[in-house]
Amino acid sequence: MELREILKKVVLLGDGGVGKTSLIARYVVNKFDDKYIATIGTKVSKKDIQVVRPDLIINLKLMIWDILGQKEYSKIRTSSMSGAQGLILVGDLSRPETVRSLEDFWLKEVKLAVGNIPTVIVGNKVDLLKKESMEAAMIEAMGMRLGYPTLLCSAKTGRNVEEIFSTLGEMLLADVTPRAKSQKDKPPQTLAEVVDFIVQDFCAQYGDLEKAMLIVQHQFEEAGVDIRKPAKDAVLHALDGLAKAEELTLTKSVARVNLEERQRMVILSKG
Amino acid sequence: MEQDIKIETLIVMSLAIFAVLAAVAFLVPFEDENTKLFFIALVAVLTSINVAGLFMVWRHTPTVVDEVFLMTPSGMLLKHYTRRLRPDQDTDILAGMLTAVQTFVRDSFDEAGGKLNEIRFENYDILISHSKNVVLAAIISTKKPEKLRVELKNANDDIETQFGEMLSHWSGDKSELGDVDSIMKKFLSGKYRK
Repeated sequence: MELREILKKVVLLGDGGVGKTSLIARYVVNKFDDKYIATIGTKVSKKDIQVVRPDLIINLKLMIWDILGQKEYSKIRTSSMSGAQGLILVGDLSRPETVRSLEDFWLKEVKLAVGNIPTVIVGNKVDLLKKESMEAAMIEAMGMRLGYPTLLCSAKTGRNVEEIFSTLGEMLLADVTPRAKSQKDKPPQTLAEVVDFIVQDFCAQYGDLEKAMLIVQHQFEEAGVDIRKPAKDAVLHALDGLAKAEELTLTKSVARVNLEERQRMVILSKG
Repeated sequence: MEQDIKIETLIVMSLAIFAVLAAVAFLVPFEDENTKLFFIALVAVLTSINVAGLFMVWRHTPTVVDEVFLMTPSGMLLKHYTRRLRPDQDTDILAGMLTAVQTFVRDSFDEAGGKLNEIRFENYDILISHSKNVVLAAIISTKKPEKLRVELKNANDDIETQFGEMLSHWSGDKSELGDVDSIMKKFLSGKYRK
């Protein structure tokens, strides 16, 4: 199983007061107060998304730059957009002029600053609307015309907020595929090769090589694995310990996928 | 910080020695003028040795780097190196905010679009080195940022030379980064020091 860590810069834009900050507040890692948006024009937060595909786990980190919505501060805004790879455009469905300005102002400004980038259009405060309202139809028609996915959301109820990130995440990762396996990467055959592969794989996924090796050493000692002449039972026992360590650093689902894959390799190995 | 304490201790000890010897030279009645002159000369020589020693210690004390952020100019953290574990700190967000602050200062105060090279707090300094595709920010607490500035720039230049082209169109995939660690290890171990 290949693990990739991908970092993307995403900008969150829309008129002042449309609810950009509230929309993401409960769904991202916030380390700085919202007052920074008013003082330095920007606040950075982070959304971690894990995408599991066949043979590939992607840990996607969306670095979300929440940028001041007042149209006058164009210089700081343009600088903050530099290097952006994704865009979330937010309009307030209870104020049609904010929806119109997405296309008339914000999109034009982003295109000038960073060109065409994957974009999601968001109509916020859908909880304030009656069913089949004009505003909702208007923003959906805009999204369709521009070719961008459009979501009607509510920061208050949480409706569709997670979908904003997952939709944008999928767009940003559209080109990411597992690397072709070379001859060098042929599957390990003997138990010793499998153990070597598992140690490397664990260290790569854990991130901190030094700590990872200490965990491997500890688990192998606990399970009685002789690294020069490993026994299948002992290795299988050690894998449980490694999976527990991964549950804490990665996620339970990734730890489980890794455990099953490693167990399969150990059982099928020769020797 | 440990090195600073050592130097401060040496300074106090030197001053104490000097004060005691000076007091002895002027207060104690010597048998003759020659003995007194000899003693004063001895005090002067010892004090000079002390001053020279202190200067040498200061000169050879390395500037201790607490943390280094290796980033792109758009605020994406490529690597973070630290001597201290700070579990409450999210380094990705911190790198982004550090870039946002630089953007704010540049756009607010410098019409020509210069770069922010240093942020100074009471107890530590943040030195920032820029190149076209690489930003290196070093946090130091040993009060001698001037010694590190050139080293930081040289490390930045090496990263720019080796990885700048790749970083100019980097997709965000950390596995594409290559071995920046070898340059950073060289920097952190003081091998860029002249």
